[in-house]
Amino acid sequence: MKKFKKHFLPLESNGAYLFFIFIMIAALIVSIAVSIVLGSVDIKFGDVIGFLANKISGRRVVVPTWDDSIESIIWDIRTPRVLTAFIVGAGLTLCGIVMQALTKNTLADPYVLGISQGASSGAVFMIMYGSMFFYGQYGTVLGAFIGAVISIVIALQIAKIRNKVTATQLILAGIAVAAMFGALTNIMIYLQRTGSDKVKTAQYWMMGSLSGSTWERLVYVAIVFVVCFIVIYAIRKMLDAMLLGDDVALTLGVNTGRLKLIMILVTTLLTGAIVSISGVIGFVGLTIPHITRSVVGSKHTRLIPAATLVGGTFLVLADVISRVIISPEELPIGVVSAFFGAPFFLYLIRKSRMGGKG
Amino acid sequence: MKLETKGITYSIDGKLIIDGIDISVKEGEFVGVVGPNGCGKSTLLKNIYKVYTPDSGAAYIDGEEIFKMSNKKTAKKMSVMQQENLVDFDMTVYDMAMLGRFAHQKMFSGDSDEDREIVLEYLKEVGLEGYEKRHFLSLSGGEKQRTLLARALSQKAPLIILDEPTNHLDIGYQYQIMNILKRQKLTMLCCVHDLNIAATYCDRIILMKKREVFKIGTPREMLTSENIKELFHIDTQIVENEKTGSINIIFLPEL
Repeated sequence: MKKFKKHFLPLESNGAYLFFIFIMIAALIVSIAVSIVLGSVDIKFGDVIGFLANKISGRRVVVPTWDDSIESIIWDIRTPRVLTAFIVGAGLTLCGIVMQALTKNTLADPYVLGISQGASSGAVFMIMYGSMFFYGQYGTVLGAFIGAVISIVIALQIAKIRNKVTATQLILAGIAVAAMFGALTNIMIYLQRTGSDKVKTAQYWMMGSLSGSTWERLVYVAIVFVVCFIVIYAIRKMLDAMLLGDDVALTLGVNTGRLKLIMILVTTLLTGAIVSISGVIGFVGLTIPHITRSVVGSKHTRLIPAATLVGGTFLVLADVISRVIISPEELPIGVVSAFFGAPFFLYLIRKSRMGGKG
Repeated sequence: MKLETKGITYSIDGKLIIDGIDISVKEGEFVGVVGPNGCGKSTLLKNIYKVYTPDSGAAYIDGEEIFKMSNKKTAKKMSVMQQENLVDFDMTVYDMAMLGRFAHQKMFSGDSDEDREIVLEYLKEVGLEGYEKRHFLSLSGGEKQRTLLARALSQKAPLIILDEPTNHLDIGYQYQIMNILKRQKLTMLCCVHDLNIAATYCDRIILMKKREVFKIGTPREMLTSENIKELFHIDTQIVENEKTGSINIIFLPEL
């Protein structure tokens, strides 16, 4: 494996890169199909294709052999859910990439730094106490965004020593910020809710869930995602320069002050929007960029599209696992992502301790 | 292309590091900054290439204040070669050198044919032809430093600032890098530790001592036994090097 890695990875030629992208798109389509078919109600694969063909073309291409409840499950429940899973996975991956360039540290991600927990506190606060100021979803996103901004500022200030963010400081700052906002979220939930409801709500916000996905919620997160993706892709060359240090980026001609502001804004906005619909799902922004880098290299022109696909596909599959593994019950998706991500996190800490290089 | 500083003063946490520095570098000149550890030479350069903001005073390129220029415009006029940073992320030698073209590129455009030609030309110039696909972190110290030199040269700026560019390199690499630099016919301001390198390559030398400029002049005027004793507290003998035509400093430590 090591020998394989030395000779073939990261993929050098553009042809190999495009082939990888093609494979990932195919994997994503298969994952989406599997995700729609599998679940507590069995649906035939042919019915899904037939129904979607009719729905998307707006005509009766295929004569329906299924009943209306199946249509409702496919269109109203599973389709928005699988698309939400994709956007959550892809979005958390993008946040991880930007935060790693911001801190020059491969261990940075919204969960490790406590940004997700901050966003979740903000969202919960708005749901519990903010109904008089803001209406529904927008209030929740706004709360999550504000929570994310507060937590990223605290985390980065604590993690910084002489303008450098070390791995140890970063992790310690993250633990503290995550614990603080986690406690805050729990206090608010336990003060406001009663009975089994409070346990469920707390679990939703602390461990993540996609069970509340609807078209309505999907649309606004999708808009935020697309806008942030375009911004992040536009600053891709500056992100390359940032990896080498702020000083170096500055001498290469990057407006580092403005760039850092943009980086913080897009990550908090994206984290806020994602957490407001899915709760806290950990480690995606940590593992996916790292794995994708080892396949396509660190250059952001290649990394951003590839990692977006890998992250989205990963979360679609994680969602499938969370639904089928203890069926008919559902495992919180954060448990699934932590199950894969936490060991990887340990591996990265060990690696950074040994060589200081990733 | 002329570089000038007027009264640059800079302090960290209330502690004065450099005090009222006035220097100038003429078009095509290779100027070295020499002085003991902690005299403020690296701080002076960082105040010129915008990593530090002077408390008072300013640096000017052709009369235009550097701090008032956009970073992109500065990068087109002045490139910087520093010591290698420790980085967590790997990239190819080619991609690393291509970052030197950043200031010349538009936001959504890729690398142009001109960019590619320039980068390949300078990789060849520094002797790294055939290294394009090698990974930066797998290189030796000398190869890394030459990659950074190719990146700085690819910036195509008429002025280059060298902030201790040859530290940690063995003597062969130090002279190799200085030779490459000397060939470029650029305006250069360079922090130098090795007095023999300063004597061989610099047109003028700025001696710094305790936060201030001590003296400025040609290597022969500056690198005298008296000045070196004053700055570094070590006895020396200055001899002519017939091959290079410049002076050599022989150190005479008390054993």
